[in-house]
Amino acid sequence: MTIPRTRYYRYSIFIAIIGLVTWLALGYGSRSFEAYCPFGGAESLWGLFTAGEFTCALGPLNLSIMIALLALVLLSKKSFCGWACPIGFLSELGARLGGLLWKKRPRVPGKTNNWLKLLRYVSLILALVFTYKTGELILRGYDPFYLTFSGIGHGSAGIISIIVLAVLVIGALFVPMMFCRYLCPMGAVFDPFSRLGVIKIIRDESTCTSCGKCGKACVQDIPVHSLHVIRHRDCTNCLECLDACPEKDTLQLRARL
Amino acid sequence: MRIPKLLIPAIVIVALLGGYFLRLIFTQPTTATTFDSSAGAKATFIVDGVKCKTTAAFFSALYDSVPGIIGIETFASEHKAIFTYDPDRITRDSIRAIMEAPIPFDDGTSEQIFKCLSVE
Repeated sequence: MTIPRTRYYRYSIFIAIIGLVTWLALGYGSRSFEAYCPFGGAESLWGLFTAGEFTCALGPLNLSIMIALLALVLLSKKSFCGWACPIGFLSELGARLGGLLWKKRPRVPGKTNNWLKLLRYVSLILALVFTYKTGELILRGYDPFYLTFSGIGHGSAGIISIIVLAVLVIGALFVPMMFCRYLCPMGAVFDPFSRLGVIKIIRDESTCTSCGKCGKACVQDIPVHSLHVIRHRDCTNCLECLDACPEKDTLQLRARL
Repeated sequence: MRIPKLLIPAIVIVALLGGYFLRLIFTQPTTATTFDSSAGAKATFIVDGVKCKTTAAFFSALYDSVPGIIGIETFASEHKAIFTYDPDRITRDSIRAIMEAPIPFDDGTSEQIFKCLSVE
């Protein structure tokens, strides 16, 4: 089995970012690792509009990173998720490990999968409402990013946090990218912008042999082999499908509105 | 227009760096307290324990009736406190000693809550 070169690049960036976040989480650097969380930008908006101040531990960096990432999504879909998000990386590792464990991994049926994806909007609404109502980041006890890098630290919900983290880790072995697909509130924020992303993958139907390798390579289970322009909101431009395609130039990365 | 694969990581990195520097536009203190309108010297403390709005407000309250303190601005996400003070009435060491002093609780115990990591 050969590992595509693009994956080396992606994993190098992921590892560098995980190293940086771990370094911050260990107390080095002038800010907490939470200060770099883009979702904190969304959580801070209500406080900024109503009281002109950031909520709880949130700060300007949360907001500025969220704005920069929204611009990135408009340019290149959810590239942040596929190239830089630490939880995206850990989820992908879980998916690949799950792939080794299963002879044939059970797939969530299409309709059920789509319904379950609505949970990330529930997750988004809950996170925003609780933060706005209490002025505290009280859902951090269920946030895998916070729990992982704080070592289930201050503000976690004890045994419940451990159970949540265990469910997400074990679930990732069964359903690839389970957290990203069904629960990530940042993904929900990106969704409407992602469809508009200018840089996307285009499939040349005249040269495609419909072998389906691109669809199998997609950790988000996007049916690349049956689409012409990949506008799918979950596409992270991770380029795994391009590397899996045996036909030269059948899948191309292009700028298209 | 065809896009080279390596453009994706390049724009992801540019976006992250752009977000990092864009913060300068939005920077504002978590708390800003002014006790006196006179001018004074400035000292910036990086304080372990100033980590959210509540702890920042509690930290500022430690200096409510301290002579020589003109104003305090805290920045929770950077664990930073900027003091404006009258150097003839209080020194940086005294300011540091106040923040690092154990805080008494109602049950008779006390605990050091804030620890100064550096002073600029």
